[in-house]
Amino acid sequence: MPEQLWITEILNRALARPVDVLLRALHVAPHYPQAPISNAVAMQLLVFLLLVVVFAIVRSLLSVDRPGALQHIFEGVHGFITHQSEEIIGHHSSAYTPYLAALGYYILVSNLIGLIPGFESPTAASPSVPLGCAILSFFYYHAQGFKHSGVKYLAHFAGPMPVLAPLMVPIEMISHLARVLSLTIRLYANMFAGDMVTLVFFSLVPVGIPILFLGLHIGVSFLQTYIFVLLVTVYLQGAVATEH
Amino acid sequence: MSSSPNPSSKDNFWVQLARYSQLGFILPAATLVGWLIGVGLDKWLHTTWLYLLGLLVGTAAGFVELIRIVISDSGK
Repeated sequence: MPEQLWITEILNRALARPVDVLLRALHVAPHYPQAPISNAVAMQLLVFLLLVVVFAIVRSLLSVDRPGALQHIFEGVHGFITHQSEEIIGHHSSAYTPYLAALGYYILVSNLIGLIPGFESPTAASPSVPLGCAILSFFYYHAQGFKHSGVKYLAHFAGPMPVLAPLMVPIEMISHLARVLSLTIRLYANMFAGDMVTLVFFSLVPVGIPILFLGLHIGVSFLQTYIFVLLVTVYLQGAVATEH
Repeated sequence: MSSSPNPSSKDNFWVQLARYSQLGFILPAATLVGWLIGVGLDKWLHTTWLYLLGLLVGTAAGFVELIRIVISDSGK
């Protein structure tokens, strides 16, 4: 049996059987039939529920006359992402803000939740979590490219000269897939390394020093979230840009 | 993919940081993706040489993306 967090244990106790049935229906054999839900999946569910609850609270507290602290924070973050995407993509960027903001909140909370004792950061627990975010972003920016340019979007992959198209198409395909891999590895490796460094120093010097690394981990969490969202914005800009 | 970035983004330090943070990852990532596609095609088509072609195309794709990132910033 794998090492389970308390929340994973609760979920496995309640949902192991239906999850097993679902996985077998999808022709996936779970490694541990008694515990098919991993820590990463349990923590992702928790992050999702946490965000839904926080947004429901913010929604219920919205006020034009007397905005509260939570409203200020969320309006600030939303304004920051709107400004950033407008700077990179242009004036029609507001359509992409909801996706970029949701992605940012999800990755940030996933990165930071590992700092609370008894929890684990899903982005550091398994590379499948950053991979999921990267694959979703990959499909999102291509879908927006098709929405923006129609079938002409495929011409982006052929390069500037039609003669070179047979060479450029596989090169473009690989470079787009490499973006998924690069987004995944960057986020996972940084968060995993941050976790490991904090743990190692905590086991060596349990007082004082780990606080410095916890601070570093918080900084890395914000920076990696920012870089992930920013790169997705840059890829979106590439997909919806007007050719000159 | 040739595109026209918004000119106002050229001076933003953080945008430059995010763009340049790709440099270290994109070449090995593209090479790995090319190799994996080649290995997959080898298994599917029962050949033994496509992994090499995938590796070469992946490396080329990595270099193309690398040069594109550098040119897109220095050319502004």
